[in-house]
Amino acid sequence: MDSIEIPKRIETINSFKAQGGKVAAVLPIHYSRALFRAFDILPVEVWGPPEVEASYGGVHLQAYVCSIVHNALSFLKKGGLEIADFILVPHACDSLQGLGSILLDFVKPTQTVAPLYLPRGKRTEDKQFLADEFRALARQLSNLTGKEPGDDKLLECIEREEQADLLLADLYRNRTGLGLDNLSFYRLIRSREYLPAEQFTELAQTALEKHSARNPNGIPILLSGIVPERMEVLKAIEELGGFVVADDFACCGRRLYPKGNERDPFLRMAERIINAPPDPTRGNSIDERAEFLINLAQTYGAKGVIFYELKFCEPELFDLPNLRNSLKQAGLNSVHIEVDIKDPLSNQVITRIGAFLEILE
Amino acid sequence: MDKIVALGIDVGSTTVKMVGVNASGDFEWNYLEGSDPRVEDQVDSFLQRFRTETGMTDSVPLVATGYGRKLVGQAEKIVTEITCHAKGVFKQLGHGGTLIDIGGQDSKVIIIGEEGQVVDFAMNDKCAAGTGRFLENTAGRLRVPLDQMGEVAIAARDEVAISSTCTVFAESEIISLIAHGVKVEPILKGLHRSLIIRVVAMVRSIGLIPPLMLSGGVVKNPAIRKMIEEESGEPVILPEQPQLMGAYGAALIAQKIAVG
Repeated sequence: MDSIEIPKRIETINSFKAQGGKVAAVLPIHYSRALFRAFDILPVEVWGPPEVEASYGGVHLQAYVCSIVHNALSFLKKGGLEIADFILVPHACDSLQGLGSILLDFVKPTQTVAPLYLPRGKRTEDKQFLADEFRALARQLSNLTGKEPGDDKLLECIEREEQADLLLADLYRNRTGLGLDNLSFYRLIRSREYLPAEQFTELAQTALEKHSARNPNGIPILLSGIVPERMEVLKAIEELGGFVVADDFACCGRRLYPKGNERDPFLRMAERIINAPPDPTRGNSIDERAEFLINLAQTYGAKGVIFYELKFCEPELFDLPNLRNSLKQAGLNSVHIEVDIKDPLSNQVITRIGAFLEILE
Repeated sequence: MDKIVALGIDVGSTTVKMVGVNASGDFEWNYLEGSDPRVEDQVDSFLQRFRTETGMTDSVPLVATGYGRKLVGQAEKIVTEITCHAKGVFKQLGHGGTLIDIGGQDSKVIIIGEEGQVVDFAMNDKCAAGTGRFLENTAGRLRVPLDQMGEVAIAARDEVAISSTCTVFAESEIISLIAHGVKVEPILKGLHRSLIIRVVAMVRSIGLIPPLMLSGGVVKNPAIRKMIEEESGEPVILPEQPQLMGAYGAALIAQKIAVG
């Protein structure tokens, strides 16, 4: 299987709206898809997007704010989010929190804008805090839609998302046997950013059933960072002789939310996020992240890690020197590639990746 | 001259270099000229020159490196300049350490392991202020010949700090300094310092493992070596032909293909 037919974002949105649903534009990183779906709202994530004239956002933002925030604000100002009925800005980092404030205080889009504060820990109090955040968000969604889903409805939506996330994890576990090249695999994985869980589940099941006997060629590598944009980089890695076996991307691997146990739906949603793989934006330590990456590399046979990082991404870049040092001590090579999602993939980036793969050879 | 068994070509942004090696990997032949945008034609003319100068008619494996490596259709293999510089310098000097390569349009720091392998690297290729082009542009503005600017900078008693971190703005700053009556020599010294501070910062970002080695065309400028030593506090070792290390490393990889 070389590729898989994936519904496009705009088609998905139009189809959902045609059936009477609403759409929420959601900024990175963590939130609960189930909560939106319980109100018949489709959450569609906004990771940039990359191909936007980014200067519109520059009026409100400093040059040292990352390109995800620049592009998201530019996209909104150019009318790209008009299709959305609601905008959620999770407090993943200071720049995204700043974006939330800019939207609420200055830009004032026509849609309701809501922040979502994420705890930086894993204590019981953190889970309770996040559950309360979800309760507050639910009240806003109720005001928007007039709906008041009960616990049963919420749990039903949570279980549907859990099923989709289990299949997402299965796709990763069966990565090498899927017969998908790097780009096709990540197109499939990232369709989770906008497809309803039930549609993603179908796609994932199809991909898993078409298991391929063909063994992938290439040096097995692990990717880490926020988002693999521009996505051509995945093709470039393959052309340079690398094969991505696993990732620690904020938009992908760090959101392999485990199944929850709580019976209270709000605690269950919080529990799932709190127990997700380590993430600097949720306060996980460098040691936790290093241990996770080393285990991930061992599990999938990765020979090295490419830290594909966005310029000015503070949560990522603060950790990086110590994190890379820990990996080095464990015998795991890594390289740091810095990009802006608004820039096309450059030859310099390709040279760095090529040189790193030559080291691993 | 021993029989040449392999060739390496480094298609750089400023110059193209070709090196031929014998079965032991020793330097036997080389040629260098300014870069032409029609890369394949230029490589053909290099190969023609190789045949004419050496009298060799047999085909030998060619490995290409440098920013234009993908355009060398004649190459059997393409390899990044990071790996090639490390291979070339290790073969010539016989030890690992930290290699600084300052090219026309980029600069690199490569940590070379005890067996000649690349352990880590850092590159500056987004800003001309850390490359040879920075000096070339500003030398033009000061009307000092490029091959003399290093000596002029070393001889200067005074030094003017250049505050602009951008090549274009540095040119404007030079014009302003000249308009205020500052002499050329201290400006040149300040310009060299500005470049070297950036390069040494890149060394620190990756972690210096002695000895410190230097390659690339800019090394012909004696002020570069002197100021790197001053700023890093480490003595600098140069290979015999620093400008040819990328092509030499490529030739060594081609030699492995040739001898199996």
